[in-house]
Amino acid sequence: MLSMNFDIAFPSLVAGRLALAYLNLPDTLQHDHQLSTPLTSYPRLQEGLYLFHNGVDPYSGGLFRHSPLLLSLFSTVLPLNRHTAALLWTASDALAAWALVQIWRARQQLTAKTPRDSLIAAAYLLNPYILLPTLARSTATFENALLLLAVMFACRGKAAATLLTLAVATHLSLTSALYLLPLVLLLLTTPVSHLASPRPYPYALQDIVKRAGPFMVEYTVYMLVLAGAATLASGGWGWVGKTWGAVLTLPDLTPNVGLWWYFFTEMFDHFRPFFLMVFSIHLAIYPLPLSIKFQHDPLYALYALTGVLATFKPYPSLADAGLFVSMAALFPETYAHMRTPFPTALVHLHCSLLLPLFHHLWLGAGTGNANFYYASTLVWGVAMGLGVADAVWAGLVAGIKGAAKKGDAAGACAWDGWEVAQE
Amino acid sequence: MIETLPLSLLLLLVCSICSAKESFSERLVLSPNLDGTVTASFAFTTLLEGARPRDPAALAEEDDSQHYTLFPLALGQILRDNAITELHLTLNAGKWDYQNWGYPEEEGVGTGAELWAWMGEGAVQTADERWKNLRNALAGLFCASIGSLDEQRTTSPALTFQPEGDLPLSSTTHALRHGTLPSERVCTENLTPFLKLLPCKARSGIATLLNPHRLFDADWHGMGVHVRYLEGAGIEVRLAFQAVLNPVRYSGDKKRDWSMTSLFDRSIERSCPVASSSEIAVRVPPAGGAITEPAPLARHAGFAVYDVKHVDKPIDVGMRWPEETQFEYSLDAPQSALMIRRRLSGSDQYKGQLSVVLTNKAPHEVKTSYLETMPWLLQFYLHSLRVVCDGIPRDDLVSIVSYTPPVPHARPSLLQAVLTLPANSTVQLTMDVVKPFLRYTEHPPDAQRGWDLPPAVFVPLGANATGAARLRRVYTPVLLVDLATPDFSMPYNVIIMSCTLIALVFGGVFNLLTRKFVVVALAPAAPADT
Repeated sequence: MLSMNFDIAFPSLVAGRLALAYLNLPDTLQHDHQLSTPLTSYPRLQEGLYLFHNGVDPYSGGLFRHSPLLLSLFSTVLPLNRHTAALLWTASDALAAWALVQIWRARQQLTAKTPRDSLIAAAYLLNPYILLPTLARSTATFENALLLLAVMFACRGKAAATLLTLAVATHLSLTSALYLLPLVLLLLTTPVSHLASPRPYPYALQDIVKRAGPFMVEYTVYMLVLAGAATLASGGWGWVGKTWGAVLTLPDLTPNVGLWWYFFTEMFDHFRPFFLMVFSIHLAIYPLPLSIKFQHDPLYALYALTGVLATFKPYPSLADAGLFVSMAALFPETYAHMRTPFPTALVHLHCSLLLPLFHHLWLGAGTGNANFYYASTLVWGVAMGLGVADAVWAGLVAGIKGAAKKGDAAGACAWDGWEVAQE
Repeated sequence: MIETLPLSLLLLLVCSICSAKESFSERLVLSPNLDGTVTASFAFTTLLEGARPRDPAALAEEDDSQHYTLFPLALGQILRDNAITELHLTLNAGKWDYQNWGYPEEEGVGTGAELWAWMGEGAVQTADERWKNLRNALAGLFCASIGSLDEQRTTSPALTFQPEGDLPLSSTTHALRHGTLPSERVCTENLTPFLKLLPCKARSGIATLLNPHRLFDADWHGMGVHVRYLEGAGIEVRLAFQAVLNPVRYSGDKKRDWSMTSLFDRSIERSCPVASSSEIAVRVPPAGGAITEPAPLARHAGFAVYDVKHVDKPIDVGMRWPEETQFEYSLDAPQSALMIRRRLSGSDQYKGQLSVVLTNKAPHEVKTSYLETMPWLLQFYLHSLRVVCDGIPRDDLVSIVSYTPPVPHARPSLLQAVLTLPANSTVQLTMDVVKPFLRYTEHPPDAQRGWDLPPAVFVPLGANATGAARLRRVYTPVLLVDLATPDFSMPYNVIIMSCTLIALVFGGVFNLLTRKFVVVALAPAAPADT
């Protein structure tokens, strides 16, 4: 496998993916609550397109919550049917995997192909958390592909492309806006790994503001242009409340793997706005501290942020977790410093069995109640939390050990009698 | 002179109100059905001659004082206060069996409560505000939960619910508000206020027969209040009660013979003195063998007619089949020209399939309108709508006239379509549906029971849609949807457990990000070993 040529491995992986998409699997998976959420579900996209074609404003109802960009794409350029869907979703995954490989090459400063490229692509294309949502035709596949493309452009220093891609990704899923800070920092620095050699940010704070400011403005302009285009395409501002508003107010309480749905099902009515605010602000807290702590390696900050958002975003699906897991392939230098990789993997295995099982017991067989599924989403939250905390720990410890190695006394000796701890 | 002018005007006004003529008439139709039951349809009609619905634009001004002698004041006040032009309220229990009982005298037979009103627009208060006032006022008047027919159940299906009377031409546009509450149960507490609206209460006339002990024991029973404006005549209030009574069940010898005493446990002893007409019509089955007692005053168009206006001895109308020793239920069920079945399939609590099967026995093509006013408790995937006619896909048989998608926690969906049924065919409509997830406060106390969904309403448009006779509505039975429930004892636990997990992850990450890393020696005694 390691020695497999990327030119053979990549097309064959994509071909295998395409073959799977042509089986009857997608029709059974498309209703699955783990794989797609009300914001990314394929039947809801079809419903929206149907209403749009028949002259009913799809945003006047509560079923369709996809971006108007998808609506205009599928209603004009690309008619959505079984074949185009299979091709498009596979192509999107292939693009994302290719972008991931490009990010890897940029980070390792490789110009030639390496055997490891195939492994990186396989880490994305064979990841069940990515594969299954794609087969279920969840539009989260596009969100992942767009984010990886944005990161790839940022690694190459292409500011306009990065910001435009991120703006499109934000349009599809509002929480993607939180990636702006690490992405801009990545644009200003280099994707090359500095985990083992932490250094302060090469610019002063005023300098950062002066350099990042225009990028922020550019991003805002893109967002405004896209919002204007979306308004023109959908014929009104109704989409704002139905797509972005849903992220903030959680009107649809369909179960998913996240923590929000049951919390707000069980929430007392008079506390609902308060907790909605707390949960939303909680998400917005992470980008800044992560970007400060990993200022030597903004790509790593972004990686940690994908894990945080996959755990805590309002409508997460397995696809979000899949992005975090697959991106781990970019950072082999942290593997040695992980504290609990094996338990984390076991908890993931545990809940990947538990989630569909308890979902069926509650909503299918009727022999379990809502607490069964809620409990398994809590276990899922633990699994994701363990992964995120471990990633942050490994990234920081790599820096401590790397600095010590370069420095004097302790670096010379082996790490046998020494351990890294926190004060 | 200046002082006397307003006085004379006032006098004139009072006189004009006094002179508003009112007339009251009552009628009972008794018709024996094929399955041995008897349908009793009571209609008490009061006409306020020359009256017009209140102009909504004048709602801000003080209303004229209302003086009625026969017209129910409590209802009149509600109508005036909200400037209602036409109003229909029905409270029914049971499933109307169109196959055996035929088409009902009162066409509103949907299970539960149904309220619809036409009202003029252009008032200070919007139609929706007045609709809300109307609901609450009627809920108070009839002791029913009509108040909960809120925005989540209100639609405006103008295609199916056309006004039965006239709309005043001078007024501005009229708006329709319609709502159904299929889980509403009708009982004695609704009948008592209903009887109070009658000029003779239940003490004399045909209303004597409204004995709650028997009516609420019937196979089907329902009451209705219908207000309409007739151009040139006035405002008409029709209080209706309809029941399907089962003499075979009551009688000890399994015979279907019936009389008023056996059905209602009462007979009419006095006539209502203020009634201008008061008659009982008994439909005589064409099959023969039935004897109607006592001998009717007149017979016309298959009906034996009795006049209750001049009663000198108690009237007890009945019907006997002297040749029958026992009633035999017909084994081959009679089939009407159009049969409709509607059901919800799928055992999952998050998705399912709605299917409507229509059988057209007629030798000609039939067009029918199809109305769904579905609360957001069941949401349609309209893109999955498929029509199969005798096993062949025929999506062209359905044309959607209008569709309003539902909004969770706020608004129901409204689907109006027209179906074409080829001659002698069975047409099946299927559509995937989504069952949403509710907040725990939105569930009723008996959450596991499921939710009643309103009936679909069909209006067969007829072979020749010249519209001479008014089109009649056909209601399907209600559906029950089983929605997923959360654990109602869990709010605190969920808040505690979810917040704990969030705090753990947040704390873990911020601990790593903020606290300083140090390198510590694990074994200080290690050098001693060497």
